[in-house]
Amino acid sequence: MPPYIRRSLIALSIDDPKLADKAFDSWADAIVLDIVKDSAQDWQQTLKAQMPAAITAASRGGAEVFVRLNAQTAYAELEATVFVGLTGVVFVGVAEASELSLACAKIDELERERGIPQGTLEVDLEITTAQGVWNSLEIARASSRLGTMAINEQVLYQNLDIPFEDTLEVEPIEFIKGQLITVATAVNGQAQGMSYPLCITQKEADEATLKKAILRARDTGFKGALCAYPSWVKHCNEGFRPSADEVEYYKEVRTVFAEGLKRGLASVPLNGKMIDVPVDLRAEVYLEWADRVALRDQQKIRAHQPVQAVT
Amino acid sequence: MTANKNSRRSWLIVPADQADALTSVQPQGADVIVLDLEYSVPPKNKESARAGLSAQIAQLAAASAQVFVRVDRATRWADVRAAIGRGLTGIVLPSPEEPADIVEIDALITELEKARGVEVGSTEIVLMLESAKSFWNADTLGRASSRITAMGVGRIDLSMMLGAVPQNEFRLYRFLMTRTLVAARMLGKQPLGAFWRPGSRGGLASVADTLRAAREARLLGFSGCVCAVAEQVEPVHVGFV
Repeated sequence: MPPYIRRSLIALSIDDPKLADKAFDSWADAIVLDIVKDSAQDWQQTLKAQMPAAITAASRGGAEVFVRLNAQTAYAELEATVFVGLTGVVFVGVAEASELSLACAKIDELERERGIPQGTLEVDLEITTAQGVWNSLEIARASSRLGTMAINEQVLYQNLDIPFEDTLEVEPIEFIKGQLITVATAVNGQAQGMSYPLCITQKEADEATLKKAILRARDTGFKGALCAYPSWVKHCNEGFRPSADEVEYYKEVRTVFAEGLKRGLASVPLNGKMIDVPVDLRAEVYLEWADRVALRDQQKIRAHQPVQAVT
Repeated sequence: MTANKNSRRSWLIVPADQADALTSVQPQGADVIVLDLEYSVPPKNKESARAGLSAQIAQLAAASAQVFVRVDRATRWADVRAAIGRGLTGIVLPSPEEPADIVEIDALITELEKARGVEVGSTEIVLMLESAKSFWNADTLGRASSRITAMGVGRIDLSMMLGAVPQNEFRLYRFLMTRTLVAARMLGKQPLGAFWRPGSRGGLASVADTLRAAREARLLGFSGCVCAVAEQVEPVHVGFV
């Protein structure tokens, strides 16, 4: 069961004059705000002035809102960007657990200062270096705030000196992805990511290709993905969840297995398959997951409904 | 035959007891010549191979080759004593398992460098990871000496230890390659390895299969590999671009 229903994320710049419209129209589960540091001005003051409105604008369509910060300059960037309404912070390039611990100490302080309930701000990670991969478990254990982990594959490929080619029949970082998924799950978080080769080509793929890639990502263990294009959002929302067929099947599994238990059986056949306790447990998880997705979709639909004038 | 640390694509293994082979390998243009004291030398020839090592190194160095000596883990102290001297670029150390293995060799090299008029610290160490423990400790092994410039994935000992039959698909190999790559890149070392396929590896690998193994290794992030025979040098150079 994914801890978070966060199937689709889309990155938007806080400087984008159409931020509110793009976020609203995207139907993404989450918006990741990218900051712009204007060196000609006091960038911290500028960001402090921009962030509250940007958070409100990004959340108008019911999306969770995150801000993406550089782990190496996190302390100063946190000061300028953490405000009420933010769901969490995405740290890019954390290489050691101590970096995350320091950043989280600053978050503790900012929560107290800015009226954010203590301990509620989530911390997510974008791994970009070999060191971050190697130390991923220690990093993930460094904060109870950890929510999701992802790989910024464009940057990691450069760091590992892997050429950007999708000609290989195997995925170059397949085992790194496996590591990330198990690490994130081990600390009660979840991993976000797209399958190979779309994860590196970032092509605006046709619908069939995209659906297949998302299914593969889901079945590898990813619970959602950062969408390279707004067109990916719809398919990620539909793909990173149990399908309608799976829901129907697992409903039948639960019914058939419950009847079998009443008859004193530990396993029962269904369409040529054996249904036993593990299958029933999986059915329970999938159906609960589907229910939570439905609730999340209803939240977003409500957020998209026109606000009625108060008379 | 010259190559800097960043362009060492081909590491050609030459048995140290076959001095005649040296004249034939030089024209092949390997980036690195690895004089071998390990498996390619029969036990009865090891002593004479060690005795002739300095002359071979001098001969190759005179031709501007980068020369390494691959030592045998069981006789590494004697092998290192025979190898250290002017003209030697470094030592290939197979199957280190604990940092202490490397620290010990580092200290011996330092002692020999001082005694033999070699710039202290100039002799490199290349680690070949060949055991389950060595892959697990790859980061601490890589940090054990400032002499370490490259880390490679071994195969024969590894497949024996992990239970895979070398002639078949070694399914764990890509996982081990990834672990080596991540450790090496994290520490700023050159990752060495090739994506060899069943039935066509080691001295048996054809030119076409060597090219494929090198090209695929490059696409997996590696930048060089060991060549068992001179004919593999050219395809390795083509593959690792």
